[in-house]
Amino acid sequence: MERIHHAKTYKLTIDREFCVGCEICSLACPREAITINKQSRKDGEKARRPIADVDEAKCHFCGICTTICPYGAAQVTIDGENIASVVEKESFPQIIREITADATMCPSDCNDCEIVCPLNLISVSTHPKTKKVTIDIKKAQCPCCRICEIKCPEDALRVRSILTGNLKVNKEKCPSGCQDCLDVCPIVGALFLSEEDGKIYVNELFCTYCGVCRIVCPKEGALELSRSTIRHTPVRSGAWNKALEKLASTPGMTKELRGKGKKRTMEAVRKLLEPRKKENVRK
Amino acid sequence: MVEDIPRIGVFICHCGLNIAGVIDVKEVAEYAKTLPDVVHTKDNRYTCADPGQDEIRKAIKEHKLNRVVVAACSPRMHEPTFRKTCAEADLNPYFFEMANIREFSSWCHPSTPKEATDKAKEIVRMAIAKARLLQPLKEIEVPVTNKALVVGGGIAGINTALDLAEMGFKVFLLEKTESIGGHMAQLDKTFPTLDCSICIEGPKMVDVGRHPNIEILSYAELVSVSGYVGNFKVKIKKKPRYIIADNCTGCGECKEVCPIEFPNEWDMNMGVRKAISVPFEQAVPLIYTINLDHCIECYKCVDACGARQAINFDQEPNEVELEVGAIVLATGFDIYLPYDNPLYGYGKYDNVITALEFERLILAAGPTGGKVIRASDGKKPHSIAFIQCVGSRDLKKYEYCSGFCCMYTLKNAILIKEKYKDEVEVYILYMDMRTPFKGYEEFYRRARNLGITFIRGRASHVIETPETKNLVIRAEDTTLSQPVELPVEMVVLCTAAIPKADAGNVARILNISRGMDGFFMESHPKLKPIDTPVDGVFVAGACQGPKDIPYSVSQGSGAAARAATILSKKKWKIEPIVAEVNTELCRNTKVKCGICAKRCPYGSIEAPENQPAEVITAMCHGCGTCVAECPADAIIQNHFTDEQISAQIKTALKDNPEGKILGILCNWCCYAGADLAGTSRFEYPPLIRPIRVMCSGRVDRDFVLEAFKLGAGMVLIGACHLPYDCHYISGNARMKARMDALAPMLQKLGLSPQRFRVEYVSAAEGLKFAELMKEMGIQLKELGPETIKRENAMLKPILEKMLAKKQRKSK
Repeated sequence: MERIHHAKTYKLTIDREFCVGCEICSLACPREAITINKQSRKDGEKARRPIADVDEAKCHFCGICTTICPYGAAQVTIDGENIASVVEKESFPQIIREITADATMCPSDCNDCEIVCPLNLISVSTHPKTKKVTIDIKKAQCPCCRICEIKCPEDALRVRSILTGNLKVNKEKCPSGCQDCLDVCPIVGALFLSEEDGKIYVNELFCTYCGVCRIVCPKEGALELSRSTIRHTPVRSGAWNKALEKLASTPGMTKELRGKGKKRTMEAVRKLLEPRKKENVRK
Repeated sequence: MVEDIPRIGVFICHCGLNIAGVIDVKEVAEYAKTLPDVVHTKDNRYTCADPGQDEIRKAIKEHKLNRVVVAACSPRMHEPTFRKTCAEADLNPYFFEMANIREFSSWCHPSTPKEATDKAKEIVRMAIAKARLLQPLKEIEVPVTNKALVVGGGIAGINTALDLAEMGFKVFLLEKTESIGGHMAQLDKTFPTLDCSICIEGPKMVDVGRHPNIEILSYAELVSVSGYVGNFKVKIKKKPRYIIADNCTGCGECKEVCPIEFPNEWDMNMGVRKAISVPFEQAVPLIYTINLDHCIECYKCVDACGARQAINFDQEPNEVELEVGAIVLATGFDIYLPYDNPLYGYGKYDNVITALEFERLILAAGPTGGKVIRASDGKKPHSIAFIQCVGSRDLKKYEYCSGFCCMYTLKNAILIKEKYKDEVEVYILYMDMRTPFKGYEEFYRRARNLGITFIRGRASHVIETPETKNLVIRAEDTTLSQPVELPVEMVVLCTAAIPKADAGNVARILNISRGMDGFFMESHPKLKPIDTPVDGVFVAGACQGPKDIPYSVSQGSGAAARAATILSKKKWKIEPIVAEVNTELCRNTKVKCGICAKRCPYGSIEAPENQPAEVITAMCHGCGTCVAECPADAIIQNHFTDEQISAQIKTALKDNPEGKILGILCNWCCYAGADLAGTSRFEYPPLIRPIRVMCSGRVDRDFVLEAFKLGAGMVLIGACHLPYDCHYISGNARMKARMDALAPMLQKLGLSPQRFRVEYVSAAEGLKFAELMKEMGIQLKELGPETIKRENAMLKPILEKMLAKKQRKSK
């Protein structure tokens, strides 16, 4: 999607390869310009990922979607340069993707992490002569699901989740035989089908809390999702509070807002006190 | 001094050949002589000219006239003139009556002079009948608030405001957008001198901002207007800027930290502005505005503003009430964006733009820094074609010529040619090159000499070559009579000036009318080009029709002078054609009635319990709705009394009533529309006998009954269009309610439905009136006098009984 002015060219691309159709960007967008649309399917077909559509008339190219997308699928360019104006002007935080690999610990014949990464973002290469292992991670697209960390036999990878929260399957409501959520979940292993009762179970260790499963779930209330924290760079921004309100569950949000509130109250009190102090001095 | 015996003088005007060319004026004069109470008749070549008026003044003295009838043009034109003439001869001006034999007879029946003369005689006879019953009236004086409201801060409004302020009047300048300046502030250079637009307008804008007598109300809209000349009460809604105006220094630090950019409408969406910004650097007043539609509320601006504390996100729209004596409308125009024209590909092809967009491109302070570039690749075009008359002079879009497009096209062509010299080929496709006024033709010559190619002919369509985004124009070169295919790299559409999108709303608020083209209508196209039919409301600039800058400036100053004629007075005289209550007849003393108070469109009647109703004269606009509504006939409208109107009806239907249409037409719309039919020389059968009332709300059902009792072939009530056109807010709606009840009853009694018509004709619909007359003429013929007579015979006794009952009751 493009907006061309004679003076500037704005471009927003949502890469369908990386976009999983979760709701994060649509929740964070201050203009509600992004809608997540479920895709139709024929009988017998597996559920397909929903598609994020952008309303050209509403989009500001502010770059919030770029900064918030856990899968790094959205990209805003202005005159060909990757710019997220909200980050530049510090009016929106960036999410912190913490994934580090200590390749020195890797045995030369192991590439388990490359195999387990559900999004194929890791490539392991061994120098043919020195046998030195290098791990290359496409960090910009990494949702920090921690699968590689857990599956690594040598404990060489360190990952911290971006989002934390809670995803629950209501067994009574979950329809047997349906595995739509499983089909769309981008993180293999975050959800699994029990062979015993044909219901879906969550492995919260790997879940990124992106919420695409809940979007495709045909039964309302079968999946319950709440997000409690999000790792982000510190910033003072009203826009962030609003996005947070929509993204996070209520208790989580109040926690973060309370933290901010405290800071603000302290500042306000200080401001109030300062002139008085001066007056006192004068007296 | 009311004399018992009327002594009527009748003056019949030739109006050169305008009347005398069709109507036998002498015959009409001879006929008038035979009528009762007429003591003097005279025909003049031009009654309205000095010698003509002189004759009236002399005759009043010589023949001791106490009533004057002038048979000439429309009273909408010269009634005030002759009233003044009478006053000069010490005759109460309300002893004057006008017979409209030009617009209603000679001009619309040129091929049937005999019938036209007969009609003229009857129109004169009707006027005499009314004149006989005229009463002397004294004008009402009201105080004047010597402040003015100017609506619209474009170049016209700026000049009006400055002139009025310089004369010493307090002026409120209302501007809808964030800054004054209007379209002129968007332009690059101005023709024919090529001086920079904002450089000459900017200082004027600053003058307005600084003037102690001017208060700018920007980012605000007109909500409602009540009151009357000299005493308007205006409600204005100020939109929230979310900035505390007094604290904002205009430093722009907030803009720097704002992360959001959105298309700048003021830049024709070619550039962007921040969610907190001013539309352009020279804005007056220089106050920033937060656009909450775009703001993401990150509050970075609040931090940047810091101690100045100018930002307040809790602002709400607030309403202000002003009291002013005069209002000048200078709301300007919109530029047509030809999205709906599929032929030229605007909105579809990147490199097809409008002239105003071109203006923003070539402007050094514009979004591209003065570079004229193509949207598709950001490169300079090597060939540009200007297509003229896009929307204008197009029967499918806007019939009128927008006037200034030829000149701005020439200007833009010269600018680009002088800028890029031989690197650019410039073409102009035109229909006619219209360059009147000072220095304009010379400017055209200059363009010709620069080597710009002029192709005469309308472009049929524009096609884009998808790979290069270049364009091909297909047109016919009418000078060579051959089709041309013109490949160019950029196309500029010179689009029409159109009425402001909210012009209808403004017209409604102020009760003024708009022409067929949608622009505000002036009182008279030649002699009152700045006035509107509403006293104390004036128009200036392009809101009245497309105008270039010098014309708008002069009209702005003209409007200031017109407004000053009111503002400079301590008292203003109002026509005394107001309603009065006969306290003896009023039922409100005995029963709970109050119908008049409820139905008055202006709420100017009070009917306290057990007391007779009372009209608050200064608030009464003189529509006469209450008079028609009063069940006890206890209210009269001065100068339009029941007796006067029934005398006109009786006289009109004296001879051959079956063959006539009795028309009761409202002054502002239907009567004006009929006038226009005459002025436009639309011919129609001479069947109508018109009676002018101020508002259709005055039309009593008794008038209709009376007309049919007397055997009228047809009755027409002509009103303003529903729901908003009525000049008295809702008089037409009241009339409709009344007639909707009456019509079925008459039909039940045996009246053919086509014999009683209620029609809505606007002042601009001369053609509609003429068509209506033709249609009714055909219907009248089809019915035939025999059917009509038969129906009338059946109706007469019943109608007589109904009317008699009423009369008894009122006694």
